[in-house]
Amino acid sequence: MQLHYTEKQQAFRLEVREWLAANLPEKPLLTLEGEEGYHQHVGWERKLAEGNWGMVTWPESYGGRGLDLIEWLIFEEEYWGAGSPLRVNQNGIFLLGPTIMEYGTDEQKERFLTPMAAGEKIWAQAWSEPGAGSDMAAIKTTAYRDGDHYVINGQKTWSSRASFADWGFGLFRTEEGSQRHKGLSFILFDLDTPGVTRRPIRQLHGNPGFAELFFDDVRVPVENRLAGEGEGWKVAMATAGFERGLMLRSPGRFQAAAKRLVELFRKHEADAAPSTREAVAKAWMDTQAYAYNTYSVAAKIMAGGSIGAEASLNKIFWSELDRSMHRAAMQLLGAAAELQHFADGSANDWLEGYIFSLSGPIYAGSNEIQRNITAERLLGMPRVGKG
Amino acid sequence: MDFLIAPERLELAEAVREFLEGTHGPEVLRRLDEGENRDSAIWQGLVEMGLPGLLVPEDQGGLGMGLIDAVLIARECGRACLAEPLVESAFVMVPWLAARGETAQLGGIAAGEVRPVPAHKINGWQADGEGAALDSVDPLRNLTQAPDDASDDAHLLDLGALMATAQLVGLAEAMLDQAVEYSKIREQFGQPVGGFQAIKHKLADVAVALEFARPVLWRAAQALEDKASSASLHVSHAKIAASDAAYLAAESAIQVHGAMGYTYEVDLHFWMKRAWALSGAWGGRGFHTRRIDTAIIGGAHPIGPENTFA
Repeated sequence: MQLHYTEKQQAFRLEVREWLAANLPEKPLLTLEGEEGYHQHVGWERKLAEGNWGMVTWPESYGGRGLDLIEWLIFEEEYWGAGSPLRVNQNGIFLLGPTIMEYGTDEQKERFLTPMAAGEKIWAQAWSEPGAGSDMAAIKTTAYRDGDHYVINGQKTWSSRASFADWGFGLFRTEEGSQRHKGLSFILFDLDTPGVTRRPIRQLHGNPGFAELFFDDVRVPVENRLAGEGEGWKVAMATAGFERGLMLRSPGRFQAAAKRLVELFRKHEADAAPSTREAVAKAWMDTQAYAYNTYSVAAKIMAGGSIGAEASLNKIFWSELDRSMHRAAMQLLGAAAELQHFADGSANDWLEGYIFSLSGPIYAGSNEIQRNITAERLLGMPRVGKG
Repeated sequence: MDFLIAPERLELAEAVREFLEGTHGPEVLRRLDEGENRDSAIWQGLVEMGLPGLLVPEDQGGLGMGLIDAVLIARECGRACLAEPLVESAFVMVPWLAARGETAQLGGIAAGEVRPVPAHKINGWQADGEGAALDSVDPLRNLTQAPDDASDDAHLLDLGALMATAQLVGLAEAMLDQAVEYSKIREQFGQPVGGFQAIKHKLADVAVALEFARPVLWRAAQALEDKASSASLHVSHAKIAASDAAYLAAESAIQVHGAMGYTYEVDLHFWMKRAWALSGAWGGRGFHTRRIDTAIIGGAHPIGPENTFA
């Protein structure tokens, strides 16, 4: 255990800080859940790629910098500390990208990773179906072989980014008559393929942040399948591990929110409830604890270890701390909490953040599912009974 | 930057865990409770492991190890609900005396011949001291009146709080284990109660609290070892996280045990009572929360993602 950055790491931190200071958009971008904001965020992804910051841990041959996880964490700390925009391609760079790195062929890596890091292709996920939410193994959408193509029929829903994105990835049933986790394959598809219909869904805040997808004889080449036919569940679980675990929610984002919450508290201190004061201190404590845990997981992975069901503990913790922090902010704002814009014209980011934080305990496997996984796989409690 | 505890340090703690599991099980706690609370044979076993001298410099007969090693072993002492005053004598007094240059007793401590215990004003009592006896809810705790000359030294307080925190983590881990094991054997409605989601989710919450208390403990130990100016803040953070996890573990474990948990017959009560005791010792929630509040809301400590290790 050694908790000091090397000179090289400190120099890297400054390099990130300086690039962001010179290149961040002058005005905050509109929400990426709406069409105009989506395109602004795509523009920002391309700007990042110009500076070679798309995904710093990836090999240089795919548009990365070949950096290690500590340097990635430093990048993330500076990125969120500077108030940078959300990553519109997070489904790609944080979830699909690492999955392709692990399961993809060289041809697939070349074909998908480079435009992903460059922000040229933005990715949507397509996991859930109307009858397969928490119970993802209940997937019904089929992709049956016809020569060198799969023909997809069925429906996906809650597909994040699918209203505007370029490509999607998800699990499809490729074996006729198969049940549950068997007979599923992980397939990537162009959202503009004939037969794909997108129906944007207005989310809680009113923007079409996700969509329903209808597949009507959609022909997708077999080379778009990741890993073997019928191995989709295993691949999807790896993706889910990235989602719940290390990558999707780096601590910097939450630490930045905790800092803004402390600043908000100082402004409203006179009117604040004692319980809110404690919630603000707890926001700092929990975001720090989350950061230490992430550094510890990163060190474990760098020493050759891996992350397993502990990812579920992570997901429960970050999603619930995010909600608590934003609730505290709503309480501090009092009568101003409901305003979309404050008197000075600035957007009420706390309101948008609170609304978004309510999705955290639901997506990426609801926290109830994560608690089951924790109890059964980490604590070894019995898998009987559904009560 | 490397937030990984070296494998050889974990091996030492593992050896202590195995030793205590073999020699200091719940039946020993019951025997001590019915008898004299302390047992020179148990103490002698700890001396033979070299534990009283863990932090004593090698040239004074000790092992010359660091606070990370000590918190790993204090956690095992919590897990075993150890009654002997090893932690406060060897892991609180020794580094405090050594930091003050008071080295006269260190050799004797390492040899297991003397075991001075700390007296700090914040507690109002002393554990295993020489004063008049006080009654603790924890039947294995030998509380005594604090001497008039109890210290108010800040470093001593941080060391005491750090080591109480380490024990709280071990106590909470043990209570979680006991609850999980009980949930597998206790059957109702024709199945083990651990198969019910209401029970699973309760214990999963304890696992979450512990997962995010442990790294705070490591951070605090390293900060104190490095003599970082922010060490007190990190100790307070760790103490709050571990106390909250321990109370949650205790309340969840008793609930999972049902009426059995409310008896003196089930082992759980020893761990639960120690957890209550140590949560309040060396600065309670109020004291440590105020230190966080002053540093974070008051603005004395830099915050934000770029200050993770400030």
